[in-house]
Amino acid sequence: MRRVAAFAATLFFVSLLVFVVVRVLPGDPALLIMGTEGNPAATARLREAMGLNRPIAIQYAHWLWNALSGDLGVSIQYDVPVGGLIVSRLGVTIPLTLLAACLMSVTALPLGLYAATRHRRAGDYLAMVFSQIGIAVPSFWAGLLLIFLFSVRLGWVESGGFAGWSGGLWPGIRSLLLPAIALGLFQAAVLVRATRSAVLDVLREEYVRAARAKGVSEALVLGKHTLRNALIPIVTVAGIQLGQLMAGSIVLESVFALPGLGRLALGAITARDLPVVQGVILFVASSIVLINFAVDLAYLLLDPRIRYD
Amino acid sequence: MISEGAQGRRGKGRHALTPLLVAALVAGLTPSPAAAQAPTSLVVQTGAEPPGLDLTATPASATAAVVFYNIQEALVKVDRHGRLVPWLAERWHTTDNRNYTFFLKRGVHFHNGRELKAADVKYVIERAMNPETKHPYPGYYAAIGDIIVKDDYTITFSLKSLNANFILNLARQGSVIYPREAVDTLKSDPVGTGPFKLAEWVRGDRIVLTRNPDYHVKGLPRLDRVVFRFIPDPNATLAALKAGDIDASLFGLGPEHVQEVQKDARFQVVVGDTTNDVILAMNNSRKPYADVRVRRAITHAINKQDVLQGAMFGLGRILGSNVDPLNPYYVDVSGLMPYDPARAKKLLAEAGYPNGFETVLKVAPQYYYTVRTGEIIANHLAKVGVKVRIEQIEWGQWIARVWREADYDLTIIGHAEAWDIENYAKPTYYFRYDSPEFQTLFKESEVTLDDKARRELYARMQKKLVEDAPVVWLYMHPRLVVAKKGVAGLWKDLPVPSADLAEVAWAK
Repeated sequence: MRRVAAFAATLFFVSLLVFVVVRVLPGDPALLIMGTEGNPAATARLREAMGLNRPIAIQYAHWLWNALSGDLGVSIQYDVPVGGLIVSRLGVTIPLTLLAACLMSVTALPLGLYAATRHRRAGDYLAMVFSQIGIAVPSFWAGLLLIFLFSVRLGWVESGGFAGWSGGLWPGIRSLLLPAIALGLFQAAVLVRATRSAVLDVLREEYVRAARAKGVSEALVLGKHTLRNALIPIVTVAGIQLGQLMAGSIVLESVFALPGLGRLALGAITARDLPVVQGVILFVASSIVLINFAVDLAYLLLDPRIRYD
Repeated sequence: MISEGAQGRRGKGRHALTPLLVAALVAGLTPSPAAAQAPTSLVVQTGAEPPGLDLTATPASATAAVVFYNIQEALVKVDRHGRLVPWLAERWHTTDNRNYTFFLKRGVHFHNGRELKAADVKYVIERAMNPETKHPYPGYYAAIGDIIVKDDYTITFSLKSLNANFILNLARQGSVIYPREAVDTLKSDPVGTGPFKLAEWVRGDRIVLTRNPDYHVKGLPRLDRVVFRFIPDPNATLAALKAGDIDASLFGLGPEHVQEVQKDARFQVVVGDTTNDVILAMNNSRKPYADVRVRRAITHAINKQDVLQGAMFGLGRILGSNVDPLNPYYVDVSGLMPYDPARAKKLLAEAGYPNGFETVLKVAPQYYYTVRTGEIIANHLAKVGVKVRIEQIEWGQWIARVWREADYDLTIIGHAEAWDIENYAKPTYYFRYDSPEFQTLFKESEVTLDDKARRELYARMQKKLVEDAPVVWLYMHPRLVVAKKGVAGLWKDLPVPSADLAEVAWAK
């Protein structure tokens, strides 16, 4: 119950903050729609029609009331309901984030584990070099390199864009593959380091030495005694990273011209499409709070000693 | 020719299975009925997604690029050479320059199947004049008094005052004719008389247009399908071109990309003129720019050739005054205020700034050329003692702070509007240039209908602007189009912000 209340309070403050911040920013949607050619009278009329000249508190109350009943308003730029707009973009952003998270986990966890078992040997250094490169290469640049290699040179996949899921599962995944790699690379590199150090910490524990002394096989030592105990810090880092992957998709959706949530948010901020900005941020904030909630639940599964009242 | 066909098909085949690719290649190399037929679909890149598709609600060029001339048209059209030609109106006449009678082309149908009638024209223009509808340019229609429908194909506009731009205003993007019954869906589903119909708008990704089979111009359009893809990043655009995912880029590439593509035999590059004048604006209401000597000094201190070379790789044209080279009244005055740093220093000393001064230049990186141009200009001005600090601000802030409130010293921006000399006759415009003499000249030009006299007035206005130097006219931003070889019929110049694709086709 307390968690639900905290959840609601977090969202309330996020929405209030976003609402105020986007209105304090210079530049309003009416002005941006009219651009450099509009005349002041026409702009003023548009502003009035959009309800932008009412006090912020009233605008906020109005928005909150509608949001509580599930109505996030209508996009200024697209003239369609914000809720539907967000849902339509999730078909890109959620698969992209999950795909990147999968790629991140399947490369980073084994590599981190491997590096820890080869501590201060060639394998360890090799893994650390990989991780260093991954951290150093900006994701947009990695994206461009991937485009030039796989679509311009080799012609295996399209250079960008997203045809939708109607054409089948594989074409959809194929157009998300390059951005997912570019997106996951940095986070994978971070996760390799986190995994390596978490595993190293556990390997120094007495019970690991005891297990080895008993003659337990190395696979069992690593799989049962080490990894499970090392997973708590790893899951914490991975949970934070999942949120970062969502945020990182903003840049990559632009590079790969994907119609996802990130580009929706970016375009909406540029155009001061306030209902969309608020809607997207509210959605992303809720997702991150939910991910954290899921991470807390994962602790319960990983370590029976942890209990929440 | 054959290689062109193979090229087109390979682009498609790649995304299919390998056997299909082989089959397509064979089909491309052996003369068969399928190979003789050129592709009838074109994928074009556009940088910005339109903020709605209603031309009567937004002046955005991103909207005009898709809708204007492709989906919706006006009574009069600006053609690819910048000439005004009869379009939905077959002809018009006036005896007194007060009452204009238009004769509509017969048999023109809207995309919803209904025929265009004079009552639609009356409805559309009256709606534009009504301030309640929030049309962005009510001023264009302010001179119109009564609109009288004589019969289904004849309509008379009677003007309250003489207006030399009346016909031009009816050709503008805000004057497009749409059916009354479709007024509520203009923003998301515009209906018009154009060569293409809106088929689909996948928000954030693409807009698809399909051929209008009942188009009122015989033989057009030549394409069956046009896809506008929104690709904001120029490098991504370049990659998409090279990978064959798009056929043409109409707005998205800068001069540095064009140079790279020019070396590639698969592409053609079109460099043309536009109405986009890139200027260094000075706040005439602020010290030290209130002094005309300072403004002239700044103009003399800038080597425009250098700017054009450095920022635009030499593509584009140097300007001397506001009127762009596509305008029939253009006069080349670019030599009147030449690059002369010694003179600039002398003028600054006369104005009381022998050691120069410090100033802030605000630019919006959303327009890449503003930043580059600013860096070069800062360098030029430093040589005469003017220390420029460059501040990059986001576009929304630029509009609010610089453009609306004139809270700036210097700024750089491209003015893409055609026939926009009026900006200098508005003392509240962000240049804050207030010259009664210029305002009188402009007012006179608005009511002078004789072409020769009007041309003379335009020449005088341009010279007056050079003397007063309210801003520095730097260069005309070039039109840079990259397309696959074989795409024919694209406009070379861009006298209006449109991407008219009616006559575009794949060469056979």
